[in-house]
Amino acid sequence: MKYSLILLTLLSTASFSDAVDKVQMAPQPSTVNVVCPTGSCTKASAVQKVEVINPVSMYTPKPKEDVLSVDSSLRIDVIGQGVAPMNTASPAQAYALAKRAATADAYRLIAEKVKGVRIEGDDLIKNMMVQRSTVRTTVRAMVRNANVVETTFKDGLCEVEMEIVLSHANFAR
Amino acid sequence: MRSRDGNCTLSCKLCTLILLSSLALNASEYLISYRYVVKDTILYNETLQISKAMQICEGIPQESLTLPSSGTKDIKKIIHTNMENFVAYIHKLGISVEHEEKNINYQNKSTIILTMHTTCFKVDFNDNFAKITPLK
Repeated sequence: MKYSLILLTLLSTASFSDAVDKVQMAPQPSTVNVVCPTGSCTKASAVQKVEVINPVSMYTPKPKEDVLSVDSSLRIDVIGQGVAPMNTASPAQAYALAKRAATADAYRLIAEKVKGVRIEGDDLIKNMMVQRSTVRTTVRAMVRNANVVETTFKDGLCEVEMEIVLSHANFAR
Repeated sequence: MRSRDGNCTLSCKLCTLILLSSLALNASEYLISYRYVVKDTILYNETLQISKAMQICEGIPQESLTLPSSGTKDIKKIIHTNMENFVAYIHKLGISVEHEEKNINYQNKSTIILTMHTTCFKVDFNDNFAKITPLK
């Protein structure tokens, strides 16, 4: 009698754990479950159909980000743009000035990509109307070993293509 | 009345002082800083400051640049003659980037400031070349 009670207890716990496992199992993608809210459904109208969408199927993979790992290097390419001022003495001077401006822009883009941008925004609203909308972005960084790949100058616009190769060893922390 | 030995000590001290001060005014070391400002994609201002070092610089020599000097020992003249090469070299050494962009009522204003902070450069003048080496 005593052993039969122990056996019964063991069997009941085993069946309960099976039930728990069944509850925890993730449903298949877009499975239709038939649910009876009252417990005893005699009519077909009382039966409800519930569609369960598997959360695994809703998961969309994130785009792969460029991450600097220990054993590999990371190359970053940017194109900076600069414009010559209106009152230049010669086309050569215009080119030189525009190139300098484009280089600065390229450095800024590298700094933005590598270190990031700080953004602050303010909106002033009076009488339910936007009076002033301000967005400030700032970048501060130290850039070294960047290389100019190509320089083009066309219609007063200078474009400087610049690249920087980042490796884990020489990355300033 | 001063003793003969005392006067000698004073002159020795003066000589040592003059010698040390002349050593401190090392003519082959220069302090150089560079900064330029770009406003709304147009070059606004560019400054290159060069001055002789009043103290002996300490630091490890970095990658050097050789510029043609054509006999002169005026570093300002040499750098201004080869400005493009020197600016490219400065960029390689490392430059500080500061960028600020303001968008007020959908109108954009941007300012980029590139700065090479004051750095000591050792300059060796050869026959027709000047070798510029930063000390960091």
